[in-house]
Amino acid sequence: MEDVLKAVSADGSSIMPQLAPNLSRHLLFPLIQFEGDQAEEKGEEEKAKKILSGKIKLLEDTNMTDYVATLYCEFHGTEEPPQEYTKKRQEVLADLEKHEQATEKIADLLTQDEVVNGLRSDKVANLEFLKKEHGVTMEMVNALFDFGQFQFRCGQYGSAADMLYQFRVLSTDNDKVSAATWGKLGSEILSGNWESAIDELKNVREGIDSKLFNNPRAQLDHRTMLIHWSLFPLFNFEGAREPILEMFFSAPYINTIQTSCPWILRYLIAAVITGRSRARNSSTQQKQLKDVVRYVRQEAYEYQDPITQFVNALYIAHDFNAAREALGKAEQVCRSDFFLASSADAFVEAARHLICESYCKIFSRMNIRDLSAKLGLNPDDGERWIVNLIRETRLDAKIDSQDGTVVMNHPPNNVYQQVIEKTKGGFFRTQVLNAAVSKS
Amino acid sequence: MSSRFFRGGDDSSSESSSDEEELLTEEEEDDNQNQQGDSEEDSDDMGSDEDDSDDSDDSEEGAGRFLKSGADSDSDESDEEVRAKVKSAKDKRLDELEASIKQIENGQKNGDWTLISSGVTHVVCILMQMGLLANTRIEYDKLNRQVTKLPGGKTPKPYIRIISELEDFMNEALAKQKVTPKKMNATQARALNAVKQKIKKTNKDYQTEIDSYRANKDEFMESSEEEVAPAPKPKKTVKIELDEAPEVDGDDGFATVGKGGKTLTYTPESIFKHLRGIMESRGKKNTDRLEQIGVMEKLLEIANTPYQKIRVLLTIVSARFDLGSSITSAIPVEHWKSAEKELLTLLTVLEESPEYIVVESAEEWEDDEKPPTLQAGEKYIKVAGSVVSYVERLDDELNRSLQAIDPHTSEYVERLQDEGALYNVIVRGQLYYEQLRKDKDLDISQDSINRIIMRRLEHNYFKPAQVIKTFEENLWSAVTEKAESAITPRSEASDAANLVNVLCNYLYSNSDGIIRARAMLCQVYFLALHSDYYKSRDMMLMSHLQENIPNFDVQTQILYNRTLVQIGLCAFRKGLVYDAQNTLQEICGSGRQKELLAQGVMMQRFNQVSPEQERLEKQRQLPFHMHINLELLECVYLTCSMLLEIPLLAQTGSSPDIKKRIISKTYRRMLEYHERQIFTGPPENTRDHVMQASKALAAGEWKKATTFIHNIKIWDLMPNTEEIKTMLSKQIQEEGLRTYLFTYAPFYDTLAVETLSGMFELDATKVSAVVSKMISHEELAASLDQVTSNLIFRKGVELSRLQSLALTLSDKASALIETNERTLEQKTQGSTNAFERGGGRGRGGQRSGQRPGRGGARTGGNTQRQAGGTQFTGGALGAAVRG
Repeated sequence: MEDVLKAVSADGSSIMPQLAPNLSRHLLFPLIQFEGDQAEEKGEEEKAKKILSGKIKLLEDTNMTDYVATLYCEFHGTEEPPQEYTKKRQEVLADLEKHEQATEKIADLLTQDEVVNGLRSDKVANLEFLKKEHGVTMEMVNALFDFGQFQFRCGQYGSAADMLYQFRVLSTDNDKVSAATWGKLGSEILSGNWESAIDELKNVREGIDSKLFNNPRAQLDHRTMLIHWSLFPLFNFEGAREPILEMFFSAPYINTIQTSCPWILRYLIAAVITGRSRARNSSTQQKQLKDVVRYVRQEAYEYQDPITQFVNALYIAHDFNAAREALGKAEQVCRSDFFLASSADAFVEAARHLICESYCKIFSRMNIRDLSAKLGLNPDDGERWIVNLIRETRLDAKIDSQDGTVVMNHPPNNVYQQVIEKTKGGFFRTQVLNAAVSKS
Repeated sequence: MSSRFFRGGDDSSSESSSDEEELLTEEEEDDNQNQQGDSEEDSDDMGSDEDDSDDSDDSEEGAGRFLKSGADSDSDESDEEVRAKVKSAKDKRLDELEASIKQIENGQKNGDWTLISSGVTHVVCILMQMGLLANTRIEYDKLNRQVTKLPGGKTPKPYIRIISELEDFMNEALAKQKVTPKKMNATQARALNAVKQKIKKTNKDYQTEIDSYRANKDEFMESSEEEVAPAPKPKKTVKIELDEAPEVDGDDGFATVGKGGKTLTYTPESIFKHLRGIMESRGKKNTDRLEQIGVMEKLLEIANTPYQKIRVLLTIVSARFDLGSSITSAIPVEHWKSAEKELLTLLTVLEESPEYIVVESAEEWEDDEKPPTLQAGEKYIKVAGSVVSYVERLDDELNRSLQAIDPHTSEYVERLQDEGALYNVIVRGQLYYEQLRKDKDLDISQDSINRIIMRRLEHNYFKPAQVIKTFEENLWSAVTEKAESAITPRSEASDAANLVNVLCNYLYSNSDGIIRARAMLCQVYFLALHSDYYKSRDMMLMSHLQENIPNFDVQTQILYNRTLVQIGLCAFRKGLVYDAQNTLQEICGSGRQKELLAQGVMMQRFNQVSPEQERLEKQRQLPFHMHINLELLECVYLTCSMLLEIPLLAQTGSSPDIKKRIISKTYRRMLEYHERQIFTGPPENTRDHVMQASKALAAGEWKKATTFIHNIKIWDLMPNTEEIKTMLSKQIQEEGLRTYLFTYAPFYDTLAVETLSGMFELDATKVSAVVSKMISHEELAASLDQVTSNLIFRKGVELSRLQSLALTLSDKASALIETNERTLEQKTQGSTNAFERGGGRGRGGQRSGQRPGRGGARTGGNTQRQAGGTQFTGGALGAAVRG
């Protein structure tokens, strides 16, 4: 496990070692897989090998024996996996059978319509009902949980999710229910059911807030985990962006990020910046950006990577050259990051927008050549890009191609307009007031 | 004649009087527990007074008594004389007594019981005030409390006479009354009953004297005066003893003098008996502690078994501590040192003979003859005592004596050297408790070890790492080789940061409440002192102490203030001017730094402080070596305020539309005061330096400002002075640029970045970064021209007076509306919401949503305000319109 992390973080840009402890084995696997693919792409045999062996070690404890055996063969270049794998396979199969038997009855019951229709929202009554009518015992319910867990370990995420769902409906054991919720969240993420994953996310979040309220330490740990887990839907499912960002920016979670996992800022920044073009509501986006800048400044002493450096250079130091350099590095980082790889282009594009935006705010006349360089484009592309920008955002700007400059026109804030705006609502409000007073 | 009277002074047998005295002192202790400290002090003083001026005291008493016996002789002349001469309270009482007795006698003559009754009450009162009526005292406790006890009182003869006569008379009257029941009226009868009861009560106490008076009236009055002759004898012996004691103090060759001048021999067998004697006399009046200590030193020499040693050591240490029982004064230095040595010996003895342990819960061993032996099935012989309290007391005493010594003398330094020894004792104590806790059966409370570790931490947290290291090295070379601590292993202790961390972590996991909070503060302080700003700040914030610090005791609050200040200083060293100012604001802005940091008592100008409060405050003062330099603190605070305030002042300038934000009121006041001065000489103190620098900075002369700031001597007290000065000049350059731009922007159309960069000796990129920042924060209405690298100021931004006034007016109008709305809402909230049909939804939400817009951005607030203005204002009002 440590080997693979070391191998991955050898060049220092990956934050996988920080992420790993907060992810489940199964959730970590795609990350490692991604790293392995990257290494192969780049032709780094050595690294790929290391990662492969790490993969085997990672999965050795799970029940995915077949897969591990194949990996083993690949790693050692042999045809036949060693004996122990077959033996383990037998054991797993035996276990599977046992679990199936234990849950047979209840699983059967829950497929029957009349039974399901008899269930109410009251868990205790449900259990009573099942006990009376069909002889379901507590052990049987718990067997569902065990089986769900077993399935999860086998990599059968879909069926694991089902099992855990059924268990949750029936069980009254709070600890196990919350464990089952986590399990279900993991299963949904791994099987890619993003919408139900988001529902589970909400459940877990509520659970943390309500059940652990008198144990701040556990709350912190659980929140840290939840933040890490929710990165999967955040970057894979469009509909997840808003609820998850909203969660990240809520006070308890932003505190958690600042206290225990500042590296999440990277993803937070990426999500906010990338979400720029897509966000329906630009004012919330503006606010989020402002917040992110504040957090970056606060955490600068603790965590820095090219992406936070970019924000820092652009919004705190107002150093456009540094911002450009940071953007270049940030692009690299994004491409080699499991979560950000897919949105790297969108990120760079949005970042350029931001640079341009603040540039325009400060400068009244600028050289296209310079600006293009700052945006990381060649002059021709730059010009086209700027034209597009002016058209899209209706900036009050003109290109003077004779001098090769862009001229911005900053309209001064009219004082009369200000006064009018300030007093606009006065009359109406007074009327309302008047109405209220005369009524009372 | 006079000599006879003089003798009369010691008339009653001294035995009885001293008995009574004992009774009194004991009772007094019971009565006013809370005043015990005081009364002890009083009695202490009194005792020493008696020692010093025995003779004069005698004569005074004599005078008092002279009066008493004078009361018998009816010569008015002498009475007059005496009255003129003596004015002591006691004598006055005696006069009153006499008058009351006269009254009673008159009553007897007339048969007027009301008169007698009031007379008796009066007499009783007076006697009570004299502290003579031991039994009735308790009942009249309240009356009595303020009355000073008269020394050496005894039952006055006339009183005995009158009560016995009165009793007889009363009996007669009662007998008469039985015969003729209708003769007396109601008030008389009631008075008679009252007298009867009072007499019954009081006469019991003086039965013997009354009897002897009855037996022979004249003889009693006379004879007691004759008895004088043998009286002085016992007094003499006491005096010898008293005289001898101070001598002993000086030299070591202490002659063993027992009570009554007898020479005593000490044998190991008799140790416990002596100890018991000493223990019993503890806390009583007239016990000479020095003498007892001498005795115990002797006992210690001959003690040969560990048990004897432990017992003697425990007693002697507490006896030494008794020397400084008053609250303000510490025990003498040499006693402190011996106590420290004895504690060390005690710990060594305990270490050497592990079968003996000293625990709080042990039972007192009653048998003086034979020492306790190891019982079958028990591992330890328990001795009652508390090592942790001794250690704490030792620490407190050192602290107290350091408070009392002038810190600028060599004496202070000498005294401070004892801290090393004390530190050793503390750690040895810690080791001892760790040893005890190893055995689970003993059930040593966690509290003791927490306390001792806290003490250790408190000796470390404010010191630089190097000093701690030296302390630790000395410590570990002093203890035996095999001694090892589980909590703070030898290997860990060499690194100060590690040591503090280990100690604090132990307290975090094993203690709660105040000790835990203190441990946190100590660690934060330590981190801040060692320039670990972020960590200390984060810890401080995470501790959530800001919220509940008012609930803690004053000592902890002081520690909190100290920690806060230290964090501020740390931020300053790191160059984080804003954070430093923010952190220091609360303490330094108050103008009561001295008081808040317990580094001196403030002169209270407006509200009078009671002496009690003042004494408490004095007690809280920190010894000098723990002080945070106040001048440095002020200097840092003012410099930070200058760097923040001067640009702000320039920005707000003369425009009335921007709400005047004030960062530091203290600084503003000083600046105003400085500006009012007609002549300003060269700066003399820190404050002058900062003020003149501020002036220069405001005028854009950053170089001059830098020189002023650099000239402040006190920076030398900071580590890395040069770095700090460089940091400061950099800050001054930047803030100077900002100030310049704010001040002179209205007079320029364009301004080359080059010029600015030359003017402030800053990099062109740095200048443009600063300018960009100002533009992007909308502090400056300008834009940069990249091609010519000029700063172009926008026109028409400066408002005319009319325009700015109009803006202000509109602001005020909307504020007025808002206030009205809020008032109405409040009013209607309480009543049965007349127009809240829609179920006041989202009142809080919408309200609070509006709020940040108002207080927030200077110019960016417009859009939000507008949104708030056109919407329904939610809650009651919204519903009112809709309904």
